[in-house]
Amino acid sequence: MTSLALSHTEPRRLGPLGTASALLLPIAVVNAIGFLWPVVNLLKMSFREAQASGALGAGYNLDTWTNALTDSFTLELITNSVGVSLLITVLTLIASYPIALYLHRSTGTWRTVLMVLVVAPLLTSAVVRTYGWIAILSDRGLVANALMALGMAEPPRLMFNLTGVVIGLTEILMPYMILALLSGFGRLDPRLEEAALTLGASPLKTFWRVVLPLTAPGMALGGLLCFVLAISSFVTPKLLGGGRVFLLATEIYDQAIVTLNWPLAAALSMIVLVVFGISLTLYARALRRIA
Amino acid sequence: MIHAEPTEMTRLAQGQGFLSLRGLTRRYDHFTAVDDLNLDVAKGELVAFLGPSGCGKTTSLRMIAGLVPASSGHIVVDGRDLTGVAPYKRDMGLVFQSYALFPHMDIARNVAFGLEMRKVPKAEAAQRVKEAIAMVRLTGREHHRPAQLSGGQQQRVALARALVVRPSILLLDEPLSNLDAKLRDEMRTEIRDIQKRLGITAIFVTHDQMEALTICDKVVVMNHGRLEQVGTPHEIYEHPKTAFVAGFVGRINRLPGRASGGVAQVAGITVSAPGFDGPVDVMVRPHRMILSTGPVPADAGLHQLSGTVTRATFAGDILEYEVEAAGTLLKTEASTRGGEALLAPGTPVTLSWRPQDTFVYPAS
Repeated sequence: MTSLALSHTEPRRLGPLGTASALLLPIAVVNAIGFLWPVVNLLKMSFREAQASGALGAGYNLDTWTNALTDSFTLELITNSVGVSLLITVLTLIASYPIALYLHRSTGTWRTVLMVLVVAPLLTSAVVRTYGWIAILSDRGLVANALMALGMAEPPRLMFNLTGVVIGLTEILMPYMILALLSGFGRLDPRLEEAALTLGASPLKTFWRVVLPLTAPGMALGGLLCFVLAISSFVTPKLLGGGRVFLLATEIYDQAIVTLNWPLAAALSMIVLVVFGISLTLYARALRRIA
Repeated sequence: MIHAEPTEMTRLAQGQGFLSLRGLTRRYDHFTAVDDLNLDVAKGELVAFLGPSGCGKTTSLRMIAGLVPASSGHIVVDGRDLTGVAPYKRDMGLVFQSYALFPHMDIARNVAFGLEMRKVPKAEAAQRVKEAIAMVRLTGREHHRPAQLSGGQQQRVALARALVVRPSILLLDEPLSNLDAKLRDEMRTEIRDIQKRLGITAIFVTHDQMEALTICDKVVVMNHGRLEQVGTPHEIYEHPKTAFVAGFVGRINRLPGRASGGVAQVAGITVSAPGFDGPVDVMVRPHRMILSTGPVPADAGLHQLSGTVTRATFAGDILEYEVEAAGTLLKTEASTRGGEALLAPGTPVTLSWRPQDTFVYPAS
């Protein structure tokens, strides 16, 4: 009788591992279809033969890869992209850090207002914000006009060059950096700074020895996020670079849409993926060292 | 020290003391957190700042540490006016309620931090860190992270970190409030022992009257940003100057009365009340009231009130009673030393107490 009652009341239960798998299954399926499969296809395509007409040859070979990895243009493209993205990441970090620190310390309504100001730019697309920068940076733009009004005969060009791309992307990525920094500032307790001060550390020393190390996890996360977003950004370099700035993302677009060299576009995409992998590994390592 | 009050006054007037606070005030937009605080602390004294939350005790401590600027007044340590001096140049050791250990440093580096900032030579610093860690009985834990230690151990590290720099004054901001009861008693004794051994001047902020009475040389009772009374634990407890001090330090019964001609009439009895006129509060500590079922000899010189037990509670060591007398509920207690049984509610009783245990204050 007992066993009968039990069999009625006890539902079939999954073990902890079973529950985990069941919960992860939907996202695993989505990732397999939406990410893994296209990536495998891209990898396959990069070994196809590229024909001048834009069609793909039937066979597989290493031509695209050997060309890409020996051609000085592609190599420069990679180092350029990584370099520019690193520069943008560092600039974003420097510009965002004080804001995030201030936000972390503010409270109440003021904090809410500031948070809205930080998040608001994310509600408009990068395209719109890039056009905003065009209005500011172009030859007849706000900055140029202001400089000319101040008596500068020939203001520096701020658009259709690397300067414009760096300025635009830095601002566009700042909200991401600020949010990432804030999420990593959890261990920063004002009492710790006070403790350092009473122990004889000057404000500068306190910042260097206490604040900076404790905010390092946030800096690492923000750095990873902005680097990845910078190197894969396309609209801003395209519009503010005006076709004179060559980066991996814009080049992939040109190869796929303009030159119709799909195998090279695929190969360059795989290179971007490798750069992502390396930066993730570096991030994981940095995090382990910090913690 | 036969009678502390005049001594205290004289010292204030002369401006002596290792630490002197002169008219220390902290004003915020809408209220005054600390109002005209005057205090002298002798070298090697352990002084408690006692009061309810929001009484200004922590703000006072933070002003001494330099973390909160004083609106007016002066902080003088060993003859040097520290008012306006940056906290990192004040040479104070501060122990926080939340420990505030650097989570990214191990125990040894936490303790060494202040020495590093003072550029103490490496070999000497290492020796002093070792001694400080030994002093708080944490030898062997040098390379643990703060998060790996218990709350009590973390607070001991905080104490070692503050003391290793040999500060002029040790400031303790509710250092025991985050610990559980048993640990709190241990740490209390430990802090007292270390403070005595090093002979360091210390200020101990607490809202717990037990902590203040049991380990401190002197207690500063504060309320609403004002100093209510300064004295030894004995003076504070036996001669509370204000109704607030009487009520905050220890338990108290309050009887409303009326004074005129040097005496007060309260609940049908007459108590001495020199200098009072008009409505007064007469206060007596519960355990100073003797509860008896039989008649009390009239020639014993005790104040007496008749009443009825309304509530009786057995608490092991003592019996707690609530007695209704003259329309007021009074708390009292009896010892169980002789195995006394609990009286039933409704029992008629007499409460008696010595005249010197009677405190009279203007009615609040």
